[in-house]
Amino acid sequence: MNGALTFRDLRVFMLRRAWLARLLVIAALFLLWEAAARWWVDPIFLSPPSRVLTSLNEVFETGGVPGALRITFWELAVAFSISVVIGLVVGLAVGLSRFSHRSFMPIILLLYGTPQITILPLFILYFGIGPASKVAFGVSHGIFPIIVTTVAGVQNIKPILMTAARSMGASRWQLFRWVIFPHMIPSFFSGMRLGMTGVLLGVLLAELYVSTAGIGYFTTMFTQNFDPTKLLGLISILAAMAIALNEIVRRAEVYFGRWRTD
Amino acid sequence: MTTGDVAIRVKDVSHQFGEPGDAFHVTALQKTSLDIQRGELLCLIGPSGCGKSTLLNMIGGLLAPTSGTVEVGSKPVRGPLPRDIAFVFQENALFPWCSVIENVKLGMMFQGAPKAEQEDRARKALEAVGLKDFMAHYPAQLSGGMRQRAALARALSLETEILLMDEPFGALDEQTRMILGEDLSVLLSSTDKTIVFVTHSLGEAVFLADRVAVFSARPGSIKEIISIDEPHPRKPGFVTTEKFSQLRNTLYGLLHEEIRKAVAQTVMAGPLT
Amino acid sequence: MSARRDRRDKLASRAVQAGFVVVLVALWYFGTTRWGVSHLLLPNPVKVWEELKDVLASGDYIPDLTITLSEVATAFVLSCTSGVIVGYVISRSQYAIRVFEPLLAGIYSVPIILFLPLYILFFGLGPASKIAIGTTISFFPIVLNTIAGFGYVEKIFITAARSMGASNYQMFRYVLLPAALPVILTGLRIGFTVALLSILGSETIASLAGLGHKIVHLAEAMETARMFAYIAFAVVIAAVLNMIVTSLEARAKRQ
Repeated sequence: MNGALTFRDLRVFMLRRAWLARLLVIAALFLLWEAAARWWVDPIFLSPPSRVLTSLNEVFETGGVPGALRITFWELAVAFSISVVIGLVVGLAVGLSRFSHRSFMPIILLLYGTPQITILPLFILYFGIGPASKVAFGVSHGIFPIIVTTVAGVQNIKPILMTAARSMGASRWQLFRWVIFPHMIPSFFSGMRLGMTGVLLGVLLAELYVSTAGIGYFTTMFTQNFDPTKLLGLISILAAMAIALNEIVRRAEVYFGRWRTD
Repeated sequence: MTTGDVAIRVKDVSHQFGEPGDAFHVTALQKTSLDIQRGELLCLIGPSGCGKSTLLNMIGGLLAPTSGTVEVGSKPVRGPLPRDIAFVFQENALFPWCSVIENVKLGMMFQGAPKAEQEDRARKALEAVGLKDFMAHYPAQLSGGMRQRAALARALSLETEILLMDEPFGALDEQTRMILGEDLSVLLSSTDKTIVFVTHSLGEAVFLADRVAVFSARPGSIKEIISIDEPHPRKPGFVTTEKFSQLRNTLYGLLHEEIRKAVAQTVMAGPLT
Repeated sequence: MSARRDRRDKLASRAVQAGFVVVLVALWYFGTTRWGVSHLLLPNPVKVWEELKDVLASGDYIPDLTITLSEVATAFVLSCTSGVIVGYVISRSQYAIRVFEPLLAGIYSVPIILFLPLYILFFGLGPASKIAIGTTISFFPIVLNTIAGFGYVEKIFITAARSMGASNYQMFRYVLLPAALPVILTGLRIGFTVALLSILGSETIASLAGLGHKIVHLAEAMETARMFAYIAFAVVIAAVLNMIVTSLEARAKRQ
C-alpha cells in the first residue's frame, strides 16, 4: 500500500457506486445544456440552467404566478384524494363480488382505455376554466388505475389463504378485515402511485390547455414573449412539485409492500 | 369396537366435481367408509387425484360430500369446525403480511380463543416446533421447512382434538422432510391428538402412521388398510430396520399398480388435466 | 359452481352491461329532448349521429386525420429507432444498466407533457413540436423495455448456448433476440399508445391542425354536436389503432 490513487482504484471505486456515475451523467447533461444555451442556441429559445436558477425569484415575482402554483397544488391534492376514495370504494365493490366484477369490469377497462384527452374541451365546457374542471380532469385520469389495481389486489389472493382462514373459523367480516384487506394494501398503494401519475397528467394537461387562466396563461405568455428563462423556471417548479408528490407516494408503496418479498 | 373410541366416522362418502354431463365431471371419491380411532395417526396414501385430499377436506368441513356422511365426535359435519379440527396445508398457507407469531395469534382469533391466552399459547406452540427465535420474522424470510413448522405451530396452538395434515411436507426437499418427520413424531407422541395425514411418500407413511389407508386410482376408494405396529415416538433408527423395509415394500406393492392406472388415465385425458 | 349456473351468470352480466349502455343513451336522449338540457352543453344524440355521418361522407376529417396520423407515425419511427438502439447499447453492461435505468425511469415518472410549452417555443405550433413531444414521451417506455428485455435474459440460456459453441451472431440471433423480443414488443405497444395520446394532447393544447385541434376548434365555435361527432371519431380511430398494434404484438409473440 503506497496510498497513491491508481486508475484501477478509481475504476473499482466507481464500479461500486453506480449512483455516483448517475450523478455525473446528470451533471454532464446540465453542462451540455449550459454550453448549448450559452454558445450555440439563440437566447430567445433556450436559457442556460444557471440563469434559470438565479432567475427563479423573478418567476415568483411575476404577478399571479405564486397564486397559480398554489391553486395547481390544491387541484392535485383534491383530485388525488377524490381519486383514491372513489377508486377504493368502486374497486372494492367491483372486486369483492364475482357478479359485479363480471358485469362492470369490462366497462371500467373500456373507459380506462379511451383517450380521455379528446374530451378535455368538454370538461372545460361543463366545469368552466377554474379549478373544478382541472380537478375533474385529474380525477378522470387518476381514478382508473386505482380501481383496477384495487380489484386486482382483492382478486389475486391465493385461494389457500382463504381456505386456511375459513378452516380456522374466520367469519365473513374477519376474512375481509384480516385476509382480503391486508392482501390488497400493497396493490392499492401501487395503484395510488399510478393514480398520482394520472392525476399529475390530467391536472397539468388541463392547466396547460386553458390559456386564459392559471398556469396555462403564464406558459402561453412566456412562450409568446420568447422568455425561455421564466418558462423554464416555471416548468422546473412544476416538475419539482410532480417529482416530490411522486416520491411521497412511491415511498408509501415501498413501505406498505414490505412483506411482498416472496 | 365401540362408538366411543371413534373420533371420525366416514360412511359411504362419494364426491363428484361438476354435474353429470359437464365436461369436467369427475368422480373423485367413490363410496368410501372409514373409522378413525381417537388418538391414532392415520396416513392416507394413493396416486394423484385419487381423492385423498378431497376426503380430508370433507372431514374438515371445507367441502360437502355429494353423498354419504362424515361424523366427527358422532355429530355430522356441516361446515368448518375450528374448535375441533385444525389443518396444515401443503402449500404455504401462512399470511405473508403477518409475522410468524401474528400468524399463530390470528388463527386463535378466528377460532375465538380467549384473548388473554393467545400470546402465551402462541409462544408455547412456536417453542414446541423450534421457532422460538423466529417469532418476529415474516414468512418470506423463512425457509420452506421453517414455514411448515410455523404452519404446524399455528395448528397446534388451536388446541384441537383433531389435526388434518394435507401433504404438509410435500413441497420440501428430502432431507428437510426427514428431519421434520422425526420431529413431528416426537411432538405428536406427547399429545393425544387424532391425526389424519395425507402423503405421497411411502417412507413417511410407514415412519409416522399407526395405520396406513391405501387408495385406489380414480374413482378413488380405500383399497387396503395396513397397521404399523411400532411404539411412538419412532426412533430415526426405525428406518433402517427390516420391519420398516417390509412394510414399505408391502405398500409399494399395493400402490404401484394403482399409480400405473392413474398415469394411464392422465395420459388419455390429455396433458392439461 | 356448476357450468350451467356459470353460463346463467354470464348472461346476467351481459344483460347488466347492455342495460348500463341503454340507460346511459336513454338519459342522454331524454335529457336533450324532454328535460331541456341546453344543446350547447349536450347535443341530441340523433343530431350527433347525423353529424358523424356527414363528417364521414363529406371527407371533412381527411386533412386532420392525415396530419395526426403522419405525426404519430413519424414520432413512433423516431422513438422506436432511438429507443431500441440506446436500450440495446445500455443493456450490454450491467454497470450501464445500474447507472442509466433508474435515471430513465425517474425522468419517465415526471409528466413530460409539462415541457410542451418549451417544445412549442423551439419548434413552433406546427407538426414539428407534436412529433418532438410524441417522440420524447414514447422513447422512455421503449428504451426501458429494451433494457429489460436484453439486460435480464436468463443466464442459463446464455451459458447453455455458449457451452454448445454459439458464435456472437448466433448468440444474438437465437438466444438474446428471441428472449428479449416479447418484452421489447410490449414496450413498442406502450410507446405507440403513449405517442398517440401525447400527440392528440399537444394538438389539443396548442396547434394549427390535427384531430385534437379540430375538436378544440369546434368547442370554441360552440358547434357541440359536430364536436361530439369528432370526439367519437377520434375515440374510434384510437381504439382501432390500439387494436391493430395489440394484435400485431400478439402475432409477433406467437412466432
